[in-house]
Amino acid sequence: MPLIEIKGASKGFGPPDNRTEVLKNINLSVEEGEFVVIVGYSGSGKTTLINLISGLVKPDTGTASISGEVITGPGPDRGLVFQNYSLLPWLTVEENIALAVDEVFKDWTKEQRKEHVAKYIAMVKLSHAAHKLPKELSGGMRQRVSVARTLAMQPKVLLMDEPLSALDALTRAQLQDEIADIWLNNKTTVIWITNDPDEAILVADKVIPLLPTAPATLGETMLVDIERPRDRKAINHDERFKKLRTQLITTLLDAKGRTKVKSSVQISLPDILPEDLNRPNSYQFLNRTGPKRRSDKNREEVEVAA
Amino acid sequence: MQHIIQKYKLDSIFLPFLAIFVTCLFWYVIAGKSVITEKVDDFGDKIKVTKRAGLSADLPTPVETWTASKPYIVEPFAKRGELDQGILRFTWMSLVLVAQGYAIALIIGTPIGFFLGLSKPFTKAFDPIIQVLRPVSPLAWLPLGMILFSGVKIMDGEGRTTFGASDAAALFTIAICAMWPTVMNTAVGVRAVPQDYLNVAKVLKLSKWKTLWKVLVPATLPYMFTGFRLSLGIAWLVIVAVEMLTGMPGVGGFLWQQYNANSYAHIILCILTIGVVGYVLDRLMSVVESRFKTA
Repeated sequence: MPLIEIKGASKGFGPPDNRTEVLKNINLSVEEGEFVVIVGYSGSGKTTLINLISGLVKPDTGTASISGEVITGPGPDRGLVFQNYSLLPWLTVEENIALAVDEVFKDWTKEQRKEHVAKYIAMVKLSHAAHKLPKELSGGMRQRVSVARTLAMQPKVLLMDEPLSALDALTRAQLQDEIADIWLNNKTTVIWITNDPDEAILVADKVIPLLPTAPATLGETMLVDIERPRDRKAINHDERFKKLRTQLITTLLDAKGRTKVKSSVQISLPDILPEDLNRPNSYQFLNRTGPKRRSDKNREEVEVAA
Repeated sequence: MQHIIQKYKLDSIFLPFLAIFVTCLFWYVIAGKSVITEKVDDFGDKIKVTKRAGLSADLPTPVETWTASKPYIVEPFAKRGELDQGILRFTWMSLVLVAQGYAIALIIGTPIGFFLGLSKPFTKAFDPIIQVLRPVSPLAWLPLGMILFSGVKIMDGEGRTTFGASDAAALFTIAICAMWPTVMNTAVGVRAVPQDYLNVAKVLKLSKWKTLWKVLVPATLPYMFTGFRLSLGIAWLVIVAVEMLTGMPGVGGFLWQQYNANSYAHIILCILTIGVVGYVLDRLMSVVESRFKTA
C-alpha cells in the first residue's frame, strides 16, 4: 500500500459564478521512503497540491489519504516546510523547534525533549545559532531551522513547498545537497515541490511534472536512475541527466504551448498633445484652456521655407 | 556662527527655546497688567487704586503666574490642607486614579479586542454599538456612572466613606473612555496576524489555548501596545474632566477649585502640569512599545 495516495482529486477556489479550477483529476501515489519531486510553473497549483496532502486544503472531489486513512486536517505525521520559512519571529531557533517537539512528544520528559531539539539543530549545523532570533539569521539559515523544526517532529512524510525558491543560487545549491544528505541518512518519505527542473532531477527518485493546463493535471512520472550521492559538478555531463532534463523541460514547455489562449484587448492611446512651453505661464485660474487634444486639432499651419 | 550651531546641534535646543520665548511674549502682551492710578476719594484723601487692564484683563502675566505658583512647585509634596497641596502631590493622586481606571480599561478592552479580531459574527454584531459608544465624551459617561454605582459605599472602621459612588463613577468613566483604542487596535492586530503563523499552528496541531498564547498574543503585541499607548493618553485626558465634575482631589480638582477661588495663575500651573505629565506618560509608553516590536 502506498504511503500517500491521491485519487481523482480536484480543487477550485472562488464562488460558483466566478470559480477558478486549480487542480483536476490528480492521481498520485508515493511509496514509503521515496523522494518525489513535483515540478511546475509558478502559480500552476503546486502549493494547492501539497496543501491537499498537508490537510490545509480539502479536495472538492476525490480523496487524499495517508497509510490508507483519508486526510481530514493537518497533523504532525505530515511535516510541512513552508516556502517562506514561517518561523515565529519572537522565538529563538531553539524555541521555534521546541514548540513543535513539545507538541508532538508530549509524553517525553523535559530532558528528552531538550536533547531531541539539540540533536536536530546540530543536524542542520546551527548549534552555534541556537539562541538567536530568526531576524538575526540569513535566509538559508532560516530555512534550515524550518527544515529542522519539521524533521524534529519525525513525520512519516516530509512535505516541502518550494523550500529553496527564496534563496540565492549558491545557498540553494548548498541546501539541496544538505537536504539530500539528510534524506540519505534518515530515509523519510519526501514530497518536494519546485519550479526548478535541475533541482528536481538532482535530488529526486521520481520527478512528476505538474502540467499548466487550466486546471492543472499531473504529467507522466519520470524515474531518475542516477546513483546517489550525486555530484552536482559531474552530473552536468551525465547523459542520463541531460536526457531527463530535456524530456522534462520539453514536457513542461509543450503543455504551456497548448494552453495558450488568444484574446484581444482594446488599447486607447493618450490623446493629449504636448504643452507649448514657450507660452508664458499664466496665473489665470478661471477659463483655463486645458490640454490640447489631437482630436480637437483639425487644421495645422506649417511654415515651410521656400 | 552657522557652523557652530550645526556642530553642536544647537538648533534643536535653541529653536524650541525661541518658540517658548515667543509664546511667553505673546502671553505677556495679551495678559492683564496692574495699573495703579491716584484718585481723590469722597473724603478728599488721595488714594491709590489698582485696576487691571489689558486685552484679557484677568489673565495673569507669566511673572505673576510664576510668583503665585512658586509655593506649589518648590514644595511639590507639601500638604497644607485638603485642597492646598503641592502640585506633585495632586499629580500623584490623579495618577493613582488614572492607573486604576486604565488597568480596568486594559483588562476589559484587550479580550474584547481579541473576540472582535477572531470572530466575524462577533464583529458584525458589536461593531455598531462600539462605533456609537466610542465618540461619547467623558462628561456624558460620568452621570451614567453615578447612577449605575449609586449604591456603592465602602466605609472604613470610623464610618468614613473610602470608596463611594463618585469614585466608582470616576473609574467607570476613565475605563470606558480609555478602552476603545485598545479594543480597536487589538482587533486590527489579531486580524493582521499573518496566515503563515496560523498555518504553523495548524500544522503543529497546537491546541486553541497554545495557539492563543504562543502565536496570536505575541504576533498582536505591537498593535496592542499602540492601543495601550493611545488609551493611556485618553485616560489622562479624562481624569481632569472627572475630577472637575466629582470634586475629587487631584490636578483637575485643584484646577476647578482655583478657578472658583479666582486664583487664575494656578489654572495655568495645572494646565502646564497636565501637559507635561501627559507628555512624559506618552514617552514612557512609546519606549515600552518599541521594546515589543518584533520583526
